[in-house]
Amino acid sequence: MNSNRFRQRIRQSLANEILQIALDANAERRLKGRAAAFASLPDWRERRHQAHILRADVIEHLEDYLQQFISNAQRNGIVVHRASDANEAIEIILEITKSTTQNSQSGESTARKILIAKSKSMVSEEINLNHALERENFRVVETDLGEYIVQLRRERPAHIITPAVHLRRQEVGQLFHEKLGVPYTEDIAELTQIARRILREIFLSADVGISGVNFGIAETGGICIVTNEGNGRMVTTLPPLHIALMGMERLVRNFEDLAILLSLLPRSATGQKLTVYTQIIHKPLPHQQRHLVLLDNGRTRLRNSPLKESLYCIRCGACLNACPVFREIGGHAYNSVYPGPIGSVISAGLFGSEFVPLAQASSLCGACKEACPVEIDLPKLLTRVRAGQSPLPNRQSSKTGLSRFSVFFLRTYSRFARSPRLFALSQTFAWLITRLLSPRSEWIRLPAFTGWGYSKDFPRFAGKTFRARFHQRGGGRGERGELREGGELRKRRELEERGELGEGEVSQPFRDKEKREQFIEELAKLNGHVIRTRANELTDKVIEFLRSRGINRIHLEPNVLNESLLQKAGITFSREAEAALRVGVTKALCGLADTGSVLEADGEGNKLHASLLPEIHIVILHTSDILPSLLDALPRTLGTKSAVFITGPSRTSDIEMSLTIGVHGPGELYVFLVDD
Amino acid sequence: MTTVQLFITCLIDSFYPQTGEAVVSILRRISLDVDFPRAQTCCGQPLFNAGLRAEARPVAEHTIRVFEKTSGDIVIPSGSCAHMIKHGYPELFRDDPLWLTRAQRMASRVYEFTEYLVDKLGVTDLGAHWEGKITYHPSCHTLRGMNIDRQPRALLAHVQGAQLVELPHAEECCGFGGIFSVEHPELSAEWLKRKITNLEATDSPTLVVTEAGCLLHIAGGLHRQRKKQRVVHIAEILANQEGRDR
Repeated sequence: MNSNRFRQRIRQSLANEILQIALDANAERRLKGRAAAFASLPDWRERRHQAHILRADVIEHLEDYLQQFISNAQRNGIVVHRASDANEAIEIILEITKSTTQNSQSGESTARKILIAKSKSMVSEEINLNHALERENFRVVETDLGEYIVQLRRERPAHIITPAVHLRRQEVGQLFHEKLGVPYTEDIAELTQIARRILREIFLSADVGISGVNFGIAETGGICIVTNEGNGRMVTTLPPLHIALMGMERLVRNFEDLAILLSLLPRSATGQKLTVYTQIIHKPLPHQQRHLVLLDNGRTRLRNSPLKESLYCIRCGACLNACPVFREIGGHAYNSVYPGPIGSVISAGLFGSEFVPLAQASSLCGACKEACPVEIDLPKLLTRVRAGQSPLPNRQSSKTGLSRFSVFFLRTYSRFARSPRLFALSQTFAWLITRLLSPRSEWIRLPAFTGWGYSKDFPRFAGKTFRARFHQRGGGRGERGELREGGELRKRRELEERGELGEGEVSQPFRDKEKREQFIEELAKLNGHVIRTRANELTDKVIEFLRSRGINRIHLEPNVLNESLLQKAGITFSREAEAALRVGVTKALCGLADTGSVLEADGEGNKLHASLLPEIHIVILHTSDILPSLLDALPRTLGTKSAVFITGPSRTSDIEMSLTIGVHGPGELYVFLVDD
Repeated sequence: MTTVQLFITCLIDSFYPQTGEAVVSILRRISLDVDFPRAQTCCGQPLFNAGLRAEARPVAEHTIRVFEKTSGDIVIPSGSCAHMIKHGYPELFRDDPLWLTRAQRMASRVYEFTEYLVDKLGVTDLGAHWEGKITYHPSCHTLRGMNIDRQPRALLAHVQGAQLVELPHAEECCGFGGIFSVEHPELSAEWLKRKITNLEATDSPTLVVTEAGCLLHIAGGLHRQRKKQRVVHIAEILANQEGRDR
């Protein structure tokens, strides 16, 4: 894409009124949400700096950490593949899919297409995976609501976190009406329910689940995937084959690193303390194959270039939301899978020098750097791309991505600016010219094609420059002056410093009661419910709840409730997922006080399904199992095959950034908190 | 008496000499000698930002040579030029240890104008007087590049007669960005429009900036739209004293 084509796309975006409204709404809500979320993290500046350092260490020693990660993942039973480029990744995925599904489908009729359910993965967009799969006559369905919408429109995502950010509810309603044959509605909750109903069938019948990966953990060989809607859990849990796609740079060293990044990623991406479903997957489930494809596709090239720092990125999208350019033009105008400031840096290095002009669309205002949770110096990297330091060979006539006129002007300026005599001469010359152009007014109305004249007037050069005036008045000897002490300011600064000290104080060790209160408060903020009970009244309270909702059959984890009491009360239960079951009851491994989360994992009675498939999820949690925060709980995922931190009911904001509760996972979450 | 070196910047030199004079009068008022190295031209920022590093280098080298011949603090009434020397030069010369050292030596002497007054000298009250409402636009490179915000605000808070009102979405870029404003006029125009709308919402006739680039850009937009508001460099506000005409 040359700079003229890019400018055309910019003009199209600016002229698209619907897009403008959608983008303004996105920017405002995202910035507010992010600011509010960071208010609950007083030490965020330090964390951000720590995050930068730990990402830098991983990228510096990437191959060592990769080796460690791969051997640990393989020991856990995950099959790991490495792909050097997009074609290789696609071949590997096709090969896995064909060989696995042929074995399992050998008895069935061959008329049915292989069905692949996908949760969000930017790497899959990068390698254009859907296209390749469809060419092989597979049916691929995107299951993230936003991705599902853009797939139905046969578009690419317009944002790396919010794919349908460019659309309004009316367009989604019309799309569903046309493509899915449902009556037109512009009610967002209703649209979400339609998608839930249709995609539920896909999850239950899919042969293959494909997901992205947010982080690989070198020390344990586990992968971390975060989603809000629950589709990520579905595709990694239900189909007999799970293929995870991961950019090779997305590694952390250990749980400590992961905890820091998970305190920053959801806050930066969606303004949440923790994403609803934070999965830590270590092994395949019984009767499941798990594969992991690690993609290079230009990352090694970036790593060996002056753009290395761009690999620290954790794909939160905060720089897109903060960027005034993205706010005006949206993701599609960039014509790259990766838009926004980070996209303008990496696209040229990953995909080719035709993306260099993207880097010129920035005033270097620094809003992206300020928003970045891992402190990537994006303005600096943008100037490096402009300076031709991208790693791919340059096929453009202008290496900077600037127009020829601008380059000519700047080169001439450079000649003048290195000689004081020529510089002064050019100032006089410029004054003369501007004076001739506009003899009567201080202002010149330049035509629009000059760029400047498009929206502003240009002032005349000064007749007598500062240098001329300064020397005419003879040197710089000071008069008798009065130096005022900034006493008040100093006092204020001292107060500020003292105030900061107060903020940084180490909080007292948590007592159970405080943890419990904090847990209840946090969960309430997320539309979750807490019902407190004593241990001997637990089953009675659950029965009471079920009766109030008219429910008499549930999916129940063994050894959690008094089952003879349940039977006496006329409530039957299953250890398997059944489509008609509206309630799943499980016992949490632990809770997190600072986010209101509960930890669930695979176990007897298909408990992973019980916490995912029904509309209502009942969690039994003992007060003594509430831990202060994520880092305290991460080691408990080690003995499990697939664990998930659940933070409130399933949710989405994919249509007009409007919060909708209950997508693919349970829409209601009840925690029965047992006081010990 | 202490002598400071003044780096006036190419924009103030060529378009706003009165701003330069205001800077000099303030520095003298607080008993400083002001030296203006005559051979100075431009820091090279427009070239560096555009990606023309080969063209930026000789200009930066020239600037370093000029100020190497002087001693004492270097004061610059522009956040973006100060940013260029403090952060751009180390990047520009990162593969050349000899020039990098020279650049860093210069950078260690550099202060943005309001930073110098407040942080280095501890001055916030300059006895300035300005009648009426004023509002402050923090330039991107001053605010985020140099992390300078409380300094100009503290100085403005001490201006007698002035009523400082907050500019909505003050931290947003005005759309200048050097060659960006010419290369991407459509984007630049959108931001400028928003900045002017926000300025109008304050009902303030005066917008204060620390940066001649923003001044050139916003004032040009205001004139095109036939608006009455003025954009003024902070030095001109601070130099203004009671009883004097402005």
